Amino acid sequence: MRHIGGNPGRSGHARSLEADRLVYRTRSLLARFFNAPDPSCIVFTLNATDALNLAIKGLVEPGDHVIFTAMEHNSVLRPLGGLRRSGTISTTMVPCDREGFPDLDFLERSFQRRTRLVICNHASNVSGTILPVEEICRLAHAHGAHFLLDAAQTAGVLPLDVAAAQFDLLAFAGHKSLLGPPGTGGLYVRPGLELKPWREGGTGSHSEQDLHPETMPERLEAGTLNGPGLAGLEAGVSFIESVGLENICRHERQLRAYLKKRLQELPGVRVYGPEKEEQCVAVLSFTVEGIDCGELGHILENSYGILCRTGLHCAPLAHKAIGTYPQGTVRLSPGYFNTAAEVDYLAGALEEIIALAAN
Amino acid sequence: MAASCYITFSTPYFALRAEDLLRQTEYAFKMVPVPRSISSSCGTALLCRCEEAEAICRFLAEKEVEWAELHRLEEEEGASFLSFFRKGGR
Repeated sequence: MRHIGGNPGRSGHARSLEADRLVYRTRSLLARFFNAPDPSCIVFTLNATDALNLAIKGLVEPGDHVIFTAMEHNSVLRPLGGLRRSGTISTTMVPCDREGFPDLDFLERSFQRRTRLVICNHASNVSGTILPVEEICRLAHAHGAHFLLDAAQTAGVLPLDVAAAQFDLLAFAGHKSLLGPPGTGGLYVRPGLELKPWREGGTGSHSEQDLHPETMPERLEAGTLNGPGLAGLEAGVSFIESVGLENICRHERQLRAYLKKRLQELPGVRVYGPEKEEQCVAVLSFTVEGIDCGELGHILENSYGILCRTGLHCAPLAHKAIGTYPQGTVRLSPGYFNTAAEVDYLAGALEEIIALAAN
Repeated sequence: MAASCYITFSTPYFALRAEDLLRQTEYAFKMVPVPRSISSSCGTALLCRCEEAEAICRFLAEKEVEWAELHRLEEEEGASFLSFFRKGGR
């Protein structure tokens, strides 16, 4: 990438062509990674939020009904909220229990004649809960609705096979477990499902026409793509393939289990999410009795160099479901490059903070 | 009289898809800027041997690659000053 610097698809010169090849390779790699039938099913976006907006706003029509779960991120809640406020659509939220699992009987009863779309987070960014998305997808299809998977937390750790699961749409973030840089993400669109573009403009083709091309992926991509970011995303996904998804998942689950064990040994610490490790990805939320989570995050960073996220994590309904609204939680996300020694260091830090707070 | 055949594509994606698929075949080809005599559109065309051009087009259609047009450009040897550069001059 350091030596290319061209604008992908915008000219016939060698550097533009090399930049375009880089984009194509990344597209092909992700298509294979998600078992999509064709690279043109993968559209690049700014991030997962951008992909979810494109999917939702590209699909729904006035009068439609959309179902979502309480574990959704604001990247789903807010586009739906805006469309609901403008009177464009109606929505139903499926409640979730304290472990973060949705009420499937409620979901089954929620379908209406105009239900066009069901949206579900693959795993919660608050509790780590893995939702039964294949089953929810089957229910959506049985009622004539499309299914949109938010795989922001799972792409790069859990296997995703869009063909086997028959997902219609899958939104992914590049900068999380796919190990790419911030500012990358994308959307898988099932062949034959035509979304309305919400950006139109330059595509490097048919420059004489004033209408945007209708073929994928250009149909949903306008303007210059993030070439350097996609080069990083290609490197990230290639690394995952070389290590093996199952090895990454195993390492992260072991670390999460160890982290949970160490946290539960500490006085006043409460850990949230499912009991069983196989029902979670490596995201762990906790609170410490008598200590504000924002303050705790600040101390962890400034006195120990431990970075975490505190508060509501852009998912207020998930916190209501697990019982941590409005105070929020401290969230830790052990990754493939973290170690058990780092978990021990964190546990030691928390022990000190809790002891100091008690005195 | 030398002839070159150019295949153009409806979008840059299809040009890259064609390149990817054709690399897995024995066809000789090269990705080049679209000659201005063919189209005012920016982008990349596939340059190939004229005797293989129709077979390549059929192959691409089978693979659902939307190629736009097939052009045969006749060129008298040495008629254009550009041929000096095309031969690697300068």
